[in-house]
Amino acid sequence: MKETIKNTTLADRLLFILLISVSIAGIFISRDALSQGSNVIIEIDGKPAYTLPLYENRLVPVGGPYGITLIEIQGGKVRVKQAHCRNQICVREGWISKGVIVCLPNKLVIIVGGSKKDKQQGIDAITG
Amino acid sequence: MPNYKLLMSLTLCLCVMLLSSCFSNKPLTYKKSKALLDTFVTITVVNESREKADAAIENAFNVIEKYGDLINFFSDKSELSDINRNAGIHEVRVSPETLDTIEKAIYVSEKSGGAFDPTIGPEIKLWDFLNKIKPSDADIRKNLPLVNYKNIIIDKGKSTVFLKKKDMLLDLGGIAKGYAADLAVLDLKEKGINAGLVAVAGDVRAFGLKPDKKPWVVGIKNPRQKSNDDEIIARIPLSNKAISTSGDYERFFVMDGQRFHHLLIPQTGYPAYTCQSVTVIADKGVMTDGFDNAMFVLGPEKGIELATKMGMDAMIIDNKGDIHTTAGLQGKLTIERDH
Amino acid sequence: MQLQDKHRVAILSAYALALHGFESLLPTPIPWLKPGLANIITLVALILYGFRTALLVTLIRVVLASIFIGTFLGPAFILSAGGGIASVIAMGLSIKLFKNLFGTVGISLIGALFHNTAQLSLAYFLFIQRIEAVLIISPLIVLLGSVTGIVNGIISDTLIKNLLKKDGKKIQNVT
Repeated sequence: MKETIKNTTLADRLLFILLISVSIAGIFISRDALSQGSNVIIEIDGKPAYTLPLYENRLVPVGGPYGITLIEIQGGKVRVKQAHCRNQICVREGWISKGVIVCLPNKLVIIVGGSKKDKQQGIDAITG
Repeated sequence: MPNYKLLMSLTLCLCVMLLSSCFSNKPLTYKKSKALLDTFVTITVVNESREKADAAIENAFNVIEKYGDLINFFSDKSELSDINRNAGIHEVRVSPETLDTIEKAIYVSEKSGGAFDPTIGPEIKLWDFLNKIKPSDADIRKNLPLVNYKNIIIDKGKSTVFLKKKDMLLDLGGIAKGYAADLAVLDLKEKGINAGLVAVAGDVRAFGLKPDKKPWVVGIKNPRQKSNDDEIIARIPLSNKAISTSGDYERFFVMDGQRFHHLLIPQTGYPAYTCQSVTVIADKGVMTDGFDNAMFVLGPEKGIELATKMGMDAMIIDNKGDIHTTAGLQGKLTIERDH
Repeated sequence: MQLQDKHRVAILSAYALALHGFESLLPTPIPWLKPGLANIITLVALILYGFRTALLVTLIRVVLASIFIGTFLGPAFILSAGGGIASVIAMGLSIKLFKNLFGTVGISLIGALFHNTAQLSLAYFLFIQRIEAVLIISPLIVLLGSVTGIVNGIISDTLIKNLLKKDGKKIQNVT
């Protein structure tokens, strides 16, 4: 195996360094860029099904190909409390206060964010 | 080999670009949110230094949190609960912020002829908007005598508050968010921040200008939003002003075809039905927060009258969906298409 | 295809399936981190036996694996197939165009990169229409993909060298 590492070309190593640094930079950038949300948008099959305020505690049952998924909003955070998909990746995500949770088998996407439209329309805050 | 040279120069260019972005000194906008006061607070700050912006925002959050502890209606430990527990018994000594908030609440009550009344506590407590519980007419009537801001006795010298009648309940929810925004802005300015935006839920206070030297733009929510596309009904630029909105869509439920919401008329204990939403613009958040409630109860015509008299601007969407505004908003308000 | 090639494809596909199955049994602390061990077979096939063999092996592995696991024609299958095909094509092209530039490890990295890119793109267009959601998880996925790409590349390289040492004469390039 050491032989292989010696046999890596310059291009190999440069590519590796490039990919690693760009992706690490990307992680930091996306973490900062993630705007804190005040909305929880639940999309089923690509279509927004619910837009709920993040600061109102609620239990939302959502139907999907794999039965009912329970989404919980509490204390400004969201999580998938219960799902019947195989991998349970969505449940393992735990609580998020910004970002996304995806359950691909259930075609479910939970997004915590401000309205995308605001940024496009140049609005800095919403009253109402 | 030529291939290697190309690769090297490309990598070098990329590194230079990445590095240079670390050293720019332009003022930027930093935004952070936190769940406080049982709602969402978002603070935006303009500054060249990320650390300074972060520290200032965190400090402002602390200020809001401490204030929240003082006036939390639902916490036994708050000064507000202390006042309420001792209604009809004896006066309670309170912090300057609590006293100031209550004084401002009384001011709004006086100027609006009682359309806003912080002693509405006993009435609002009867309603449960989450579980759709409407109180009986008898219960509503029974508690009406307890609603009267004139029964709040303040002693400025001793910094005390006394509720004259037993079972009176003071609820500062209609004015506290605006006051909190004011406190936050004051704190940010003290920490050397010259421009920013504090949004305590829908109560917003803007100061200074954005990095592009333009004023902050605030969108007014559409009270009858039907899809993701029509969330905003109008927008307005703000220069060193506060803006608040009261709406019948914030806490409500529909029963037998009728909407019951949280903006009650202090004199009757029932929701006011002449408006869908009221937006007020003034210098301070405490005023916009208190007066938007008052104007909602007064209705479109009297509401606009009060706003003009107080030197404030307002936009009222009445129960038919028509928009009324004060003269001062002409030309400043941009109404989104289709409205 | 000659009989010898068909045998080769069959055996390679079997290995690939076995690796895939073995990998899915491993406990994964991080949900999206799948070493993609089957890609080793793809890469070895590509370098030793050519593009067509590698493509066939990938397709067979992806289809059979999804039938066995039960996700055939489901979203996981589409992502897996898309990623696998993009990866094979990218690696094949890289070998042809940049023969002297990249070693096995580099090719593996390229394969991993295109595999991830294809998966993210497919996820965006077909399942998650929100570009922000996809952009947010991309850096992490690319990072993990690069790491597994390196590991796979090293293993592939070692495997190739060992195979070449053993049967130097029997291995022929079939393109």
